Amino acid sequence: MEFTLLFLATAIVMLVAWRGQRPLALGLFAAVLIACIATYLHHATDTLKLSF
Amino acid sequence: MTQARAITLNALSLYAVALVLAAAYAAQFILQELPCPLCLLQRILFAALAVGPILNIRFGPRPSHYAMSLLAAVAGAVVSTRQVLLHILPGDAGYGSALLGFHYYTWALLGFITAIVLVAAILLFDRQFEEDKAVLPATGGAFAQTAVWLVIALTAVNVVTTLLECGFGACADNPRIYELLQHAA
Repeated sequence: MEFTLLFLATAIVMLVAWRGQRPLALGLFAAVLIACIATYLHHATDTLKLSF
Repeated sequence: MTQARAITLNALSLYAVALVLAAAYAAQFILQELPCPLCLLQRILFAALAVGPILNIRFGPRPSHYAMSLLAAVAGAVVSTRQVLLHILPGDAGYGSALLGFHYYTWALLGFITAIVLVAAILLFDRQFEEDKAVLPATGGAFAQTAVWLVIALTAVNVVTTLLECGFGACADNPRIYELLQHAA
């Protein structure tokens, strides 16, 4: 579900960037990027099977 | 580089993002390979790469717009590097099929690194940031407008297909079916 919302948010940021106000687009973009990083950290919990 | 030429390059970069999103769909629908959570996140970050060029076309090139693309590309490179490392041990077949010897997440890593290098290269040209009154309709002309709407449309279609794949719950680690279609059947 979170990925659907992230795609939706990205599409909204694109529309705001194209039709809306620049500061709003910048703010929404920052929010989406932070949400992407949070989603990544949530999913990247498996231990990497590496040995150096 | 003039402002007009920079805007043309930004439009071309949007077509490149559209090509990446379309290629991902080709793998999904022709090869019947559903994207995993990390794959979806890489797609989202490819789409996020497009916000900077859209702003450049609408408001004119600014360093801050390029910085947005750089941040999205770095985040995408981190995610795809993670997926490469998950499958790096000898004997691991990787996730999904390979294209020209590389899996899609490896291609994604190369794509994000290429984006970082290209954005850094285009930032070297200062003249694009000067006011260029000789040119341009405010929205960059038909070529640029088509690029913008194409990439927005592909992102919007991804909203629908991701909803079909994952449904209203958490997305499966190794998805085999479209959850929402399965429930409907």
